[in-house]
Amino acid sequence: MTSATIANNALLNWLIGYEAKRKKLLHKLPDGALKDFLSVPFPDLKTPIQQIPILSVDFETTGLDAKQDKLLSVGFVEIDHQQIKLNSCYHQIIKTKAQLEESNVIIHHITDEQKDRGEKLRIVVEALLKALTGKVMLVHFARIEKQFLQQACFELYGVIPPFPMIDTLVLAKRKLDKRDVAYDPSELRLSNLRNKYKLPEHHAHNALNDAIATAELYLAQTSKQRKKQQITLKDILL
Amino acid sequence: MSTMDTELSEISAFIQSIPPFDSLPKQVLAQLVRELTINYVRKNEALPPQGITDPRLYILRKGAISCLSSGNELIARLGEGDLCTAFCSEDIAQQDGIHIVQTDEDSLVYSVSIEVLADIGERFPSISDFFSNDSAQRLKNKMNKVNEEAIMASTLMNTSVSNFYQSPVETIECSSSIQQAAIQMTEQGYSCLVVVDGEEPVGIVTDKDIRRRCVAAGLSTEQAISEIMTTDMCTIDIKNNAYDALMTMTAKHIHHLPVTKYGNLAGMVSVTDLINNEGHNAINLSSIIHKANSLEELKQISDLLPKLQIRLAKLGSSADHVGKSISAITMAFTKRLIEMAEYKFGQAPVPYAWLAAGSQARQEQLAHSDQDNAIIICDTMKPYDDAWFENLANFVCDGLAECGFIYCPGDIMATNPKWRQPRKVWQSYFTDWVETPSPKALLNSSVFFDLDTIYGDKTLLEDVRQNMLKSTQKSTLFIAHLSKNALGLRPPLGFFRDFVLKPNGKHKATLDLKHNGIAPVVDLARIYALAEGISAVNTIERIQQAAGTRSLTKASAENLIDAYEFLGMLRVEHQAQKLMRGEEPDNYLSPKEISKLEREHLKDAFKVIKTLQDARQSSF
Repeated sequence: MTSATIANNALLNWLIGYEAKRKKLLHKLPDGALKDFLSVPFPDLKTPIQQIPILSVDFETTGLDAKQDKLLSVGFVEIDHQQIKLNSCYHQIIKTKAQLEESNVIIHHITDEQKDRGEKLRIVVEALLKALTGKVMLVHFARIEKQFLQQACFELYGVIPPFPMIDTLVLAKRKLDKRDVAYDPSELRLSNLRNKYKLPEHHAHNALNDAIATAELYLAQTSKQRKKQQITLKDILL
Repeated sequence: MSTMDTELSEISAFIQSIPPFDSLPKQVLAQLVRELTINYVRKNEALPPQGITDPRLYILRKGAISCLSSGNELIARLGEGDLCTAFCSEDIAQQDGIHIVQTDEDSLVYSVSIEVLADIGERFPSISDFFSNDSAQRLKNKMNKVNEEAIMASTLMNTSVSNFYQSPVETIECSSSIQQAAIQMTEQGYSCLVVVDGEEPVGIVTDKDIRRRCVAAGLSTEQAISEIMTTDMCTIDIKNNAYDALMTMTAKHIHHLPVTKYGNLAGMVSVTDLINNEGHNAINLSSIIHKANSLEELKQISDLLPKLQIRLAKLGSSADHVGKSISAITMAFTKRLIEMAEYKFGQAPVPYAWLAAGSQARQEQLAHSDQDNAIIICDTMKPYDDAWFENLANFVCDGLAECGFIYCPGDIMATNPKWRQPRKVWQSYFTDWVETPSPKALLNSSVFFDLDTIYGDKTLLEDVRQNMLKSTQKSTLFIAHLSKNALGLRPPLGFFRDFVLKPNGKHKATLDLKHNGIAPVVDLARIYALAEGISAVNTIERIQQAAGTRSLTKASAENLIDAYEFLGMLRVEHQAQKLMRGEEPDNYLSPKEISKLEREHLKDAFKVIKTLQDARQSSF
């Protein structure tokens, strides 16, 4: 190991949580989708912002509690070199036993009938893990995706793997906090932030559309900073 | 994935709203959408976005983009839903002189690789045509389509096929030889015969069949005609309308259709019969005018003119056809008024001719435009003869005004003594204009380079015209002055959002179809005609006759005619809309009135005109 990489590793202290956990879990796991996912290192913290491999992800769920509520659908799309690639997009409804509540159906537009024709949770999670391999996960308001994905992994594999994430809501919040002026929390909603960046109107509440909408917001947020000093993954990681 | 269509519905709906993608079937559209890449480009950054080197088509989803020449001159400005083709070719070429493409606002930009586009284009020619052709070719395709539609949308819907068919139908016995059939066709002047076995029709044979299935195939002409006939003969019942007949022929790619009555062969209808159906209305109106006995009657007839224009526009007639029809009617009014004047004031003391100038002379008039006219009188006239001509001029010009042709604001009328002169004075006018041209004088007099005899002794004008053309051909100074005047009117660059984009980068709410589209073509055609000694005054005829001279290549001539016809069509449609709403027809078209595709075609037309204006400019 050269001295330079040792120095790099020193800088990676911050990430030790992710990398250490990844390596530790890797040895425990049997062969399978989760092991494959964890066998590839996460992107280096020093990766310049233009080169971070990203997967923008969105979930629709039956509620906010990952322990009680169920994952209904998963949508994702890749960002490669600051370009959203629609040919990587994925959307799948999950077959769950839970009865859908009407108040919720209004939001996600997934009916019981559609849900019953959905895929098994394991298949969908494995597709997500495969796409997420070696990438950083991009979400808007990380709590839901983080908790539901960890919960799903726990149910399927008995472990809770690490997921490095970028949260467009947190990126916006950090910027607002820096101004030290009071703001309305509703400003942080995906649609309001998109309006702020003059992105097109976005209506559909569907996991894939929201993943694309989040990805577009992320491009707008990070393009605004490009002119200053080189920004790396470390600066924007959750 | 089957549900993907609905999931990318917003992006799909956006792409589908943009020509040529609006013509794609849903699954193909979904395939295209899945191949899109999305970039966010900050204000004042250049396209293509950093890191992209492969040729791609860019589609602006949000924001604004400017396309500039190497001299930083604005060539186009793109808004939401506009396509940027500047980076479509391998060498990221400077298409249309575009050198720099940069964002004017933060922009969300979709793009698709040319390979994907080419793949779709292979299956859907409308896509490859749109991207592979230059603007002139696209415009040509459009005009071809317009002409086809004009035929289909005409009165044929309301007309029975019985109005068109020729009867009895020519038949030939199936045992006859191919040669006998050819002889029969030649003698009777038919290109199509029905083949019968006794009384029973068994097939159809056209001159094309003889060419393709016999001569080209090396078949002996002694063979029976039944060898080359088409047996699965299409027919149409006489109760159908002419439109159905045309649709059947279009669908089957045939030009002749036997007509049956109660199941029996009754006649034959051809594509040509159907196409020749147009324009009877104008002829009818002219003959009514000719029979009118009072100014009052003429006034009543003139009320029909706007209706005729609407009707012609509804029929899908070309602007050329509308212009010729309306001009013919104005001519009929003028002639009838002159006849009435001659009846009232007695015969003219000396030979003369009544001249129309400007749009009427060019046969490009629309309903109730202003009157431009003049009188040329035989050189034998005595000064006191002018009283008669003054009476004539007053009577006719007032009569025309009564009939809705407003007095010329520039006083270019026979009532003005300056424009009521003997031949030799007219000759001297033209000599002055041509030999000592001044921009201002030319501006006032350019209308007189478009002159036509409406009534009277045609030789008076022809004489002057021939002398004039001889001198204009030689006078480069005159042509230079005329060109300089004409090139003052430039078409806009195109559109930006719902505005017209002017060459200076400013925006306007409406497009002046006349001054920024049609007039520049009329002016160019006049220059070509005067430079090449062409005596035609109609714009299309001038361009056609100038084609292949040193002023204008054949290809450019065709492009210019396409541009002119497209602009004319928009004007006719726009005016018909106004007339139908009971409003005054004008030439101001709002971009909101027309489709995205029409805007594209307009941009193409502007480009054609601008190219030829530039060519004209650089020839001095």
